[in-house]
Amino acid sequence: MGLVGNALYYSFHPMQLRAIIQWKVWHNPPHERNEKNETENQKLCFKFLEKTSRSFSAVIKELHPELLIPICIFYLVLRGLDTVEDDTSIPLATKEPLLRDFKNILTKEGWNFTGNRPEEKDRELLVQFNHVITEFINMKPQYQTIIQDITERMGNGMADYAVKAETDDASVKTKEEYDLYCYYVAGLVGEGLTRLFVEAEFGNPALLKRPRLHKSMGLFLQKTNIIRDIREDFDDNRRFWPQEIWSKHVDNFEDLFKPEHLDAALNCSSEMVLNALEHGEECLFYLAGLREQSVFNFCAIPQSMAIATMELCFRNPDIFKKNIKITKGEACELMHKSTQNLSVLCDSFREYTRKIHKKNTPKDPNFLKISIVCGQIEKFIETIFPTQTAEAAQRKVTGELTAAEAKRKEEDAQNKDDIWFMMALMGVIVVIVAGLMIFAAWMMGARFDLAYKELTQGNFRPPQSIEHGEL
Amino acid sequence: MQKNVMSYSAVNRLLISGGTGFVGSAITRALVKKYPAWDLTVIDQNPPSAKHELPGGVSYRQVDITSIEAVKSAFAAVNPHVVVHTAGIIPGLAERFRRRMQSKVWQVNVEGTRNMLHESKQTGVEVFVYTSSCCVVTDDTLSPYPNVDEEWPSSLKSTIYGESKAAAEALVLKASNSEMATCALRPSVLCGPGDCQLLPPIHACIANHETAFLIGDGLNLWDITHVDNVADAHVLAIENLLSTRTAAGEAFFIQNNEPITFRDLCLAIWAHFGHIPPFQVRIPQTMAYLVGLACETVTWAMGSTATLSRGSVRDACAVRYASGEKAKEILGYEARIGIEEAIRLSCEVSDRWSFHLSSHTHSPRITPLVCYLLKIKPPMSQGTQDPCPPCLEIQIKFTWAIDGDF
Repeated sequence: MGLVGNALYYSFHPMQLRAIIQWKVWHNPPHERNEKNETENQKLCFKFLEKTSRSFSAVIKELHPELLIPICIFYLVLRGLDTVEDDTSIPLATKEPLLRDFKNILTKEGWNFTGNRPEEKDRELLVQFNHVITEFINMKPQYQTIIQDITERMGNGMADYAVKAETDDASVKTKEEYDLYCYYVAGLVGEGLTRLFVEAEFGNPALLKRPRLHKSMGLFLQKTNIIRDIREDFDDNRRFWPQEIWSKHVDNFEDLFKPEHLDAALNCSSEMVLNALEHGEECLFYLAGLREQSVFNFCAIPQSMAIATMELCFRNPDIFKKNIKITKGEACELMHKSTQNLSVLCDSFREYTRKIHKKNTPKDPNFLKISIVCGQIEKFIETIFPTQTAEAAQRKVTGELTAAEAKRKEEDAQNKDDIWFMMALMGVIVVIVAGLMIFAAWMMGARFDLAYKELTQGNFRPPQSIEHGEL
Repeated sequence: MQKNVMSYSAVNRLLISGGTGFVGSAITRALVKKYPAWDLTVIDQNPPSAKHELPGGVSYRQVDITSIEAVKSAFAAVNPHVVVHTAGIIPGLAERFRRRMQSKVWQVNVEGTRNMLHESKQTGVEVFVYTSSCCVVTDDTLSPYPNVDEEWPSSLKSTIYGESKAAAEALVLKASNSEMATCALRPSVLCGPGDCQLLPPIHACIANHETAFLIGDGLNLWDITHVDNVADAHVLAIENLLSTRTAAGEAFFIQNNEPITFRDLCLAIWAHFGHIPPFQVRIPQTMAYLVGLACETVTWAMGSTATLSRGSVRDACAVRYASGEKAKEILGYEARIGIEEAIRLSCEVSDRWSFHLSSHTHSPRITPLVCYLLKIKPPMSQGTQDPCPPCLEIQIKFTWAIDGDF
């Protein structure tokens, strides 16, 4: 959309414009990065962060100071790993040991890597990776252990995948493989972050006892991206939609993009959405376990963006044609709602779940399944934030009132008395004034007897003309 | 728990009231399957029919539970250890929100239960399981009931059905003591083979061209339960009361725990029969409510029976689903048949009984919209008043198309 397009769009969506302005003007980060106290090396790391991800850098920079550097470095480490993995110009013989050994690289001071092809987007990060390593070594050892552990597992997962791609067909076949792939690229990050949160005492330790929860957090985000990016990935010759799902709807993966198979493609995409929505409930459950506002925001913003993106993609033929995105206004509104508390976030989750539900159509073979999963999310929200409690219902039946209600009722009764008193007072004043006026008129010779007589005869109007004969 | 139950197995004599009805026959089948050695007797006003099959080896006695004499002789003959009381009456939609059938409903549901309890106590019954209904709580259509649990009070003023079930349930739970353990199960709206309340009227909407109408926002969630899941819950309740007795004196909501919107249930059923509404007309709730009021006025003036009413509109837009936590924790109940399969199974059975369905498709009394509202029915009618066998007869076809019993 150009400038004119934007102007037109927002003049018809004033609420979204309002959300943008509100976010820009009023958003108050719970913690602000203090650049004055940062070393040159740290500043450099933040610069890399900004370069590699605009959306993540914004939320990371608002994190609590305790986790600010660890999470920034965690992100950069994973990004470095990703840059090695993504680069198809690196031969497997170099790539595989590098990925598997990345964990140890983190403690090799001064290490850098110049083997990336020049067009690789984040090449510079690896060229100057020594700065990241310096910060890593300065971190609390507990955090180092967590980051190293995740790096090791992710590196090995990526190496396995690279080997498989070389020797055999690496396309995703079953739903299990799809989940596993998403787990390596996103689920593991969720685990690492959760461990960091719990280590810093910003998260309920119970979160670690239920690994499904943080796994779902990562999978929900990753699956949303995979659904949204179907066209882009296809153009780049990557396929993440599992064969187990698409083969139910079309014979060849390419058919998804052909207009004559649009109905099948939409049904396929809605099965993908169904598969992702199954994590929705666990994501909300996870968010309930976070104790610190900035950490909550950090986790909640991507989740609400994800459900909104999911709603946008659901039964939308455009996903097969181009890359679609939620509007900036919607994003600001979501960010605003994701930075309050879980209850507000749940409200927007419910709103988008209902929107998805409304778009659901019986033409879809998964119609009922989608309906059920939407119902589950709504029921779950109702469990954590009941709209009506049993106690309230009990009182309604017994007619008993809560203290507040009783007080309000008393006040209402008092107000009513006051109103009656005022009305009576006004009445008395009216009677007195009217009496005085009638008395004054009578004193001046008003003939009420004549007026009364005329009225009883039906003459409600004064005579048309008064004759002034004598004058 | 299993061990304890087995030790009873040699001597268990069960009496199941309403056992030839929809729920009662399902419970009987489930019991025979799990405990073939148990001695089962079904008492019901209606003899067993093909629609609600009873397994072989189950005895049947014709008993009207409103007659204490009849109940007494049945108990004397069977001398049961365990009583499952499912017999009851559900007024049809036309009567559901009115009070004309109050004494009849009260007679069967409350006095019948009182008779059953009395005789159970007299003859030393150890376990008494009552088939209650979610309507005990949710029948006051003025309130929404999202995710209700057993802490919620029963509505003192609701419908004649809800009131009678609430009163009967209270009798049952109060009767629980160390000699006789009782509990009450509250199933939601039921579906499954032999269902003559939920599916046929929804199916009939296709022929009546009523599928495009949607009343309210279509977002109100409902619980629906497959009848075999309810039967499982009864078996679990019996096992519990025969062993640990942690469920004694308690009520439990029983459902599939997969609430879906009523609109989606209809759409799914229609889609199964190859029908997809070509468009959708949303009728705001207030407007439908006014139409309901008009209908009531007209029918009142004409002295006929109201089908569309304010009550039925509110019912159609009501939010009603319960939490299954307590049943899971104490009884270990979880739905064995998922809701998707449950709906498919119900539709497939109806396919085979297509003559049934078609007999409902030309009901002249059903005005547009009305059919849409028909789903309303809470479960549980079966038993003494089960009308299913005669439901093929034209003259009463209308009534069960509307709702089930009567």
